[in-house]
Amino acid sequence: MRFGGGSTLPGRVARKLSSHFVPDMVQSLPLGCALVTGTNGKTTTATLLAELLDRAGMTPVHNRTGANLMAGIASALIRESDLRGRPAGLIGVFEVDEAALPSAAAETSPRLVLVNNLFRDQLDRYGELDTLAAKMKKAIAAMDRSTIVVLNADDPLVASIGDGLEQRVLYYGIGETRQANRTAQHAADSIHCASCGAPLTYEYYLFGHMGRYSCDNCGWSRPEPIVSADDIEMSGMESTLCTLKYPGGGNRIRIPLPGLYNVYNVLAATTAGFALNVSIETAMSGIEGFKAAFGRVERVEADGRQVLMVLAKNPAGCNEVIRTLTSEPGRRDVLLALNDNIADGRDVSWIWDVDFEMLNGKLDKVVCSGVRAWDMALRLKYAGLEELTLTVEPELESALDGALALTSPGQTLHIVPTYTAMLDLRKIMSERGLVTPFWEDR
Amino acid sequence: MNVRIGYLYPDLMNIYGDRGNVLTLVQRCRWRGIAVEVDELGLGDPVPPGRHDIFFMGGGQDREQVMVCGDLLEVKGEAIKREIDGGAAALVICGAYQLFGRYYRPFEGEELPGIGVFDAHTVAGKKRCIGNVVAKSALGGRSGLLVGFENHSGKTFLGDGCTPLGRVTVGYGNNAEDRTEGAIFKGAVGTYLHGSLLPKNPGIADFLIEKALSRRGHLTSIRRLDDTLELKAQEAAIARARKTH
Ligand SMILES: [Zn+2]
Repeated sequence: MRFGGGSTLPGRVARKLSSHFVPDMVQSLPLGCALVTGTNGKTTTATLLAELLDRAGMTPVHNRTGANLMAGIASALIRESDLRGRPAGLIGVFEVDEAALPSAAAETSPRLVLVNNLFRDQLDRYGELDTLAAKMKKAIAAMDRSTIVVLNADDPLVASIGDGLEQRVLYYGIGETRQANRTAQHAADSIHCASCGAPLTYEYYLFGHMGRYSCDNCGWSRPEPIVSADDIEMSGMESTLCTLKYPGGGNRIRIPLPGLYNVYNVLAATTAGFALNVSIETAMSGIEGFKAAFGRVERVEADGRQVLMVLAKNPAGCNEVIRTLTSEPGRRDVLLALNDNIADGRDVSWIWDVDFEMLNGKLDKVVCSGVRAWDMALRLKYAGLEELTLTVEPELESALDGALALTSPGQTLHIVPTYTAMLDLRKIMSERGLVTPFWEDR
Repeated sequence: MNVRIGYLYPDLMNIYGDRGNVLTLVQRCRWRGIAVEVDELGLGDPVPPGRHDIFFMGGGQDREQVMVCGDLLEVKGEAIKREIDGGAAALVICGAYQLFGRYYRPFEGEELPGIGVFDAHTVAGKKRCIGNVVAKSALGGRSGLLVGFENHSGKTFLGDGCTPLGRVTVGYGNNAEDRTEGAIFKGAVGTYLHGSLLPKNPGIADFLIEKALSRRGHLTSIRRLDDTLELKAQEAAIARARKTH
């Protein structure tokens, strides 16, 4: 059976037919399933983990098109099933919204659960971070004792989930200070000790509230990671070099993705891969040969210009995109596309927590687009950016054409969209034959 | 001319882009050649008499709000009230707005006392009021309108000692019952509209700056700025609010 990409319709139908559908299908996966969650990087992490498992011969079933609710899981299971309705794969890799983790866990009894990070993202949907972390912890504590729990040591909210769990907990983290800041970015949430409630003290921050932290009051501190990245060198928008350390060794590797946020995605997927018996050699070649998950970083050529599109959907993620964008000298041509649909978050105030001031002196021509194009333009005005040519065009297709015309031939247009703006831009580009429709990916 | 802003608990009460409000005050002063300083006032820091012309405090998560409540009552509350009575301006949003009222009554347990700048009280509500808001307001500048985003479950009711900031035409406002939104007492403005209120509502920003300057003895009205972009953004946000409700 095959259905259109990203469609959750067959999944919804199947779930209506039988409330046991997802549990039954997952039960028939011989190697069980892994749930991947976290505010940022779910898709990249889950896609890389599926890639590693695939290279290890475990034939994963993955809800890879970002339709990340239970209906999406059901659709992935149907899409990858044989004629008798049994899943064709051996293991499931399912990306799940943070808020959906409890129900997904109950329906799938996962063999492994991975939490990459918790950032402030669309609070209008989820409520508060503390509450969310507590709910996730409760859901994980209720899982079978044999479940493997993979957590980011550098995110105190995530790390605290591992405290006192009966299950085996594996931590990963970044072990170096070269990319670190002494002070928090504006987007950083204030984070308190999960044990005693006192404010945490940070030795340094990596991005957002990620970093090396401890509690002066009760002594709780960042757990020691079992897999870590050291000596990180950023190569602009192209790739990142680092030394990946694991028990018994380490390798210098080139990650073909930009930014610290992708280092975390790679650490997450690798730690989970190791826990699911992927060998070190397979993991290393899988990482180096990895092609970015759809839409997260996309490179195409249009009218003799390079187009590079990177998703930014919340303050911490957007700060990292900007930091990566400005890591090389020169001025950039940029199209910023801000939507406020439900999947983007209705509330666009998050752009005021992004340090757009970092772009001062780094921009040349800027086009603001999307439903909230004027909000975006206003943000740049108050960031006090000098010497930039600013155009506002809410309609995405005209904005794309305008931005391409403003970009000199041979130069790169950087597009930074929110989620639904990315989907729309991708649709426009695929209608022009510039990108492959996502159901044909890979 | 100069203006000093007291930014209350910036590390704790910063949940919805509230920094944008302070940024707007700073830039709109600078563009007029008014020197501006921002002091961050954290837990335990006192409020020195006569130093700050505008106080700003944003919203926070529940835990932060409880920590801040204690500090307001023990350290800063009386001083802030005294400064506002003496002509200082203030903008307080969401959780801060509630704490600047008389009390907050939860479903269970004791009432959480506020510092009583506004003659207003808040009761816990079952329903969360989330979404875009449009309100008619005397501080709405040229359009006479305010636009913002609300996200609160507390319901705030005003007494006679303060006036509403505006009247809601889209959204819930103070309590989802009487169509009022926010409160004004002297130079202090309280509101549920976060989402960086001031950039798209320059009328309120300039009200606060004028109050601050008149406290310093500058009684002339301030120079108008080119607000084309601000008003385009406001107009677009209002159209969006009407469409999504
Ligand atoms: Zn502690």
